Amino acid sequence: MSGVSDDSSPVGRVLGTADATPLQFWTAVTPGSYLQLDDVVVTKRDLPDREPVTIAGVVTQVRARHEGAQFDSDVFAIADGTLPALVQEAAEITTTRVDPELYVPPAPGAIVHRATGEARDAALHFDRMERRIPMGTGRDGVPVFLNADFLDGTRGAHVSISGISGVATKTSFATFLLYSVFRSGALGADGTNARALIFNVKGEDLLFLDHPNTKLDESTRAAYKLLELPATPFSDVRVYAPPRAGDSSGAPDVSSRLTGVDTFYWTLEEFASLRLLPYVFADADDERQQYTMVVHSVTAHLHRHSVPAEGGISIDGKRLGSYGDLVDHIVEQLTDDETRSTWAGSAVNMGTVNAFARRLIGSKRDLARLIRGDLAQRRPHQIKTADSAQVTVVDLHNLPDRAQRFVVGVTLKTEFEEKEKAGTGRPLLFVVLDELNKYAPREGTSPIKEVLLDIAERGRSLGVILIGAQQTASEVERRIVTNSAIRVVGRLDPAEAARPEYGFLPPAMRQRALLARPGTMFVNQPDIPVPLCVEFPFPAWATRKSESGPPPSETMKSIVQGADPFAVVGSRAGSSDDDIPF
Amino acid sequence: MDAWDPSYGSSFEGGAEGGDGPASPSSAQVDTDVEVPAAEWAPIDASPAVRCPDVVFLVDGVRRNDAGLWTAEEDGTSYAGLAASYAAGVVRCDLARGAAELVGARVGRGLFTASPSAEDVQAGSVRYEVHRIHGTGEASKLPAAVQAPLTALEIDISSAAREMGASLAADDLLVVDGPLRNRRQLPRTIGYVKTQQKQYLPASLTTVVTSLRPGQRTPVFHLGTVWGGWSWYLRLPGASGAPWSGIVRVECSPDLAPEQAIELADVSVATLPRFASSAYKDPRAPQNLVPIAGLERRLRGMLGDSRVLHRALTLATARSR
Repeated sequence: MSGVSDDSSPVGRVLGTADATPLQFWTAVTPGSYLQLDDVVVTKRDLPDREPVTIAGVVTQVRARHEGAQFDSDVFAIADGTLPALVQEAAEITTTRVDPELYVPPAPGAIVHRATGEARDAALHFDRMERRIPMGTGRDGVPVFLNADFLDGTRGAHVSISGISGVATKTSFATFLLYSVFRSGALGADGTNARALIFNVKGEDLLFLDHPNTKLDESTRAAYKLLELPATPFSDVRVYAPPRAGDSSGAPDVSSRLTGVDTFYWTLEEFASLRLLPYVFADADDERQQYTMVVHSVTAHLHRHSVPAEGGISIDGKRLGSYGDLVDHIVEQLTDDETRSTWAGSAVNMGTVNAFARRLIGSKRDLARLIRGDLAQRRPHQIKTADSAQVTVVDLHNLPDRAQRFVVGVTLKTEFEEKEKAGTGRPLLFVVLDELNKYAPREGTSPIKEVLLDIAERGRSLGVILIGAQQTASEVERRIVTNSAIRVVGRLDPAEAARPEYGFLPPAMRQRALLARPGTMFVNQPDIPVPLCVEFPFPAWATRKSESGPPPSETMKSIVQGADPFAVVGSRAGSSDDDIPF
Repeated sequence: MDAWDPSYGSSFEGGAEGGDGPASPSSAQVDTDVEVPAAEWAPIDASPAVRCPDVVFLVDGVRRNDAGLWTAEEDGTSYAGLAASYAAGVVRCDLARGAAELVGARVGRGLFTASPSAEDVQAGSVRYEVHRIHGTGEASKLPAAVQAPLTALEIDISSAAREMGASLAADDLLVVDGPLRNRRQLPRTIGYVKTQQKQYLPASLTTVVTSLRPGQRTPVFHLGTVWGGWSWYLRLPGASGAPWSGIVRVECSPDLAPEQAIELADVSVATLPRFASSAYKDPRAPQNLVPIAGLERRLRGMLGDSRVLHRALTLATARSR
């Protein structure tokens, strides 16, 4: 660690009226200077017979008070000019680095400098990061970085972002982080080859990632320049949307984005052969539920006996052309005494079957548009990041709750299984999922939660990185939160901030999280003992229709591609070279 | 009830019955006909024409006995010694700007003794200079000896502060805590006496003093003592209602013309009441002025921790033995 840099200026002295400890100490601020929260400072302690110890830290609290005043009302006498008093500011410093590692307290009276340049990098451990991903600027306007080792699985993986919906800008930060990974070059080839799978759960905000933002101004451009990032939209984006309800052509159900949107759905045959039935039920793995037994035996039966038939499936000699037909058929077979045992096994009583049937019938309305037997099988309709663009956005915002869960569960399962099969951690796949508390709640089990837990616990080695966002980390499965190497907090609800999940925030920062402005996040990464306050720039891509610039030229093609029967499965919309030369 | 905390004594040194005012009549020659003839004495209100000056300097000093010592002389005798710390400071109250600041403060430390062989004592990081006093040097006389260097320090520091602010405000006022004594050469200066020990006025005029309402003063009178001069009584607001509560005596240099003294008296009536302290904050309210109280607190802080000094002195003397 380099010493105090030459251009740094003294801002105060370590004070002696409060205990100075190696990990925390107070600094009296020199009159005429100031220290604000998050400022990085450095001081030195000379030792006999050893090299001096450099103690660096960040300001975690500042206070000012009248010295010489005894009573609260003395302030009026002081302001009136009758009582002499001195305004003294003091700052609490939480140590981030001691070099060499000799944990001695700084000596009271020692001069404290504002750390700049190399000293600042050293204080925040940036100098030890081999690969660093810019994630915004600190309060001092200088870039702060994320250690890539803790993002790509080398030493850790997964990001957990918490904050109140609307003001915490969780999704914006997640997309900015992705942008930084792709564009900063910190990850080298891994960064360029990495894929992202983003689930858009609210509004159509994430559907314009590849459109330039028309509200981008000079100061934002300068902010991007400071971070050495281009201020451009994402270059290679593919958007998937569910089919419009009740539309037999299967056109995507989006209102604002008209070009470059593909429809996703599953055919009945895939539904049967990939054993997707359990994902229809929220609690299909819950041991307390009797009917889960039926779910699994019906799934197995479908898998064994269904035969593809022109888009739909044929089972027991009957052709089924839609999800509704399938549900009706299953319910009919189960209620029939003769066929029940072949579908559900012999030891199942009628009550359990009814519980299953009731839930299955309930799913008809939500899932009918997603599980289809009437659309061309060869048409590309599956979400597969390996064949898709660099960024794959799956639009869920129009779907009811059960359908959202089904899509997320099945998509993640498919992707994770692909990765397992490939057996390599590269290319990296970043999964951005908002409202994680809905998919992996702390209580209960479900197939979706199992998939997410799998990703959280084994994804690191398989190159699947979960960027989960939630309003309340306390309601998310604990194992997912604890497996996240990087924890990010935006504005928090006061009651939520008091929970132990946010124990990594020092008390002052916890209070600040209650009034964090949009665009301000507190990022905790394993090798820096104090969370960093980060301000990330306004997105360079459009976040809504009104601020979107012209769409990229490649997406124009797909106006016709929406129902193109000649399209090759998995062809990439972005690369014109690969087009079939018709 | 007298407003002062009993541990500070009373704001006047009275007889057993209390409330009668200063008990010991002064032998001083008093000329009460300076402003108005004695027969026409009555409380005087603050003159509306006189404005409170924008800048008021207040000077005060504090002292503390750090340790009592005994010297070992070669002939086997021993002298008493007193190690004392004292500090003087000036507060510049800029009432127009609303800022009171310490414009000068100095700390002195001395070893007061009659011993001919005593040397400076270096106690830790501070040095006690020897102040040799004449005479037998009984221990009981030593504390009084500290007053001289303290007063010198006060004079030094108030002239220095005055010079600094001279260009800024021409109509400033310097308030010295305690009688003026030998500080009378300072210009535009009043002495501020909190405690009334002597009854200077004849009994007939004393009733004028006790009938003062807050913010009123008596006419100026002249004291013919060694340290005498022009003087007047003034009642501060916030008094408890006892006849002598809130009464202070203010004096100015006898070298001034009577007109100048009366002008200063008018200024003091306009100025001092706003500095009066309140009873729940200061045990010597209202006489102990707010800036003075603040200054004393700061000065006491500058004297250093008494326990640390006492220990350092103990170590220093033990080592030199």
